[in-house]
Amino acid sequence: MNYRKLVTIIEETNTEGGRQVDPSARVVIVAAVFDNPWAGQGFVEDLTEGIDKVASDLGALLAPRVIEALGAPLEAYGKAAIVGLDGEIEHGSALIHTLKFGNHFRDAANATTLLPAVEKRGPAGVQFDIPLKHFTDATIRSHHQSIEVKIADAPHPGEILIALAGSTQGRPQQRLASLSTEL
Amino acid sequence: MNSPLATTAQTIDLSQRSTLGEYSDIAGAIGLRKITSIIEEVPHESLGTITRATATAVIANPWLGTGTSHDLSERTESIAPLLAKLLSDRLLDALGGAEKVEAFGKAALVGLEGELEHAGALIHTPYFGNLLREALEGTSIICFVDGRATAGEQLRVPMWHKTSPATRSHYQTIELTVPDAPHAGEIAVIAAASTGPRPHARIGDRTTDRTITSEILKGITL
Repeated sequence: MNYRKLVTIIEETNTEGGRQVDPSARVVIVAAVFDNPWAGQGFVEDLTEGIDKVASDLGALLAPRVIEALGAPLEAYGKAAIVGLDGEIEHGSALIHTLKFGNHFRDAANATTLLPAVEKRGPAGVQFDIPLKHFTDATIRSHHQSIEVKIADAPHPGEILIALAGSTQGRPQQRLASLSTEL
Repeated sequence: MNSPLATTAQTIDLSQRSTLGEYSDIAGAIGLRKITSIIEEVPHESLGTITRATATAVIANPWLGTGTSHDLSERTESIAPLLAKLLSDRLLDALGGAEKVEAFGKAALVGLEGELEHAGALIHTPYFGNLLREALEGTSIICFVDGRATAGEQLRVPMWHKTSPATRSHYQTIELTVPDAPHAGEIAVIAAASTGPRPHARIGDRTTDRTITSEILKGITL
């Protein structure tokens, strides 16, 4: 899997709402920046070839890095596809909304749910938020969270940035009633 | 699980301890809100992969509400070494040890209710700088940026060679944004390091430059 750069972000939260969080809450993002496989080809009707070329290798590259950087069992996860200005959002969606990509993360994390996602087109340095949900039950409210990301100098117009995010816990001071209490 | 910030004093030995695991005692003592580490790996044809990283600690400003004549030394001496330890542990983990580090830099941003001097106090004294330099096994002065900023400010942290600051190939900056920090009553302290030079450094060096003075203005070719 060729990429221009790989960025890992580890956020450890130790205080929230004025109270200490112990152990610290960890969220990890791993992002790869690489050439859009459909760059310069105009409107490509069938994206299968590009998906087959990239999606599985990309999942295999990113998933183990998230698990390793977390350093503790994953409880929530999400993903992102940020397409450079010359591409289509569909190009990013093509690479992340396929089992060939997501199953690498689900298998590595013993997860079962669908990965929540952000798909967006933007200039280099665009800010985006990755939604995360619980890894086996997407209705578990304590684990609904998002993490803000901004990767310097990426994606260029002809590139795509794909990221996976994982968290070892729910929100640092989560204290909302569960969904079941309102049903 | 969650307790108010620790206020009781205790003595600990941090010299042999990693802060990558449990460190809630330190976090509580310095009012640490979060640490964000950003690691950038760039594949390079001949140098292998160049890895560059920043580690940012966001703490409560210990001098909020004090005036411009307030002595900053006491809190500087108690907080700055802990910041150097937390941040250097993370840089070394990201870059693969001090022997891999070739360049370094530092930065501090104070939130809007603080004083620029508060940012400087945490990075411009030996309590931070000497410890960071020793951990990364450098000898150079550590280059820096500082300022007052609102949450989410984008900055570029300069780095230069850790033992030979005039080495031109290693002049570089790393861009980062820390979302949601610093708040008005906080300070963000940043350490940065790189395992290599600029990706395709090729603008010579002091050792290869001929002597250049304003004499060259007398013979400019347009």
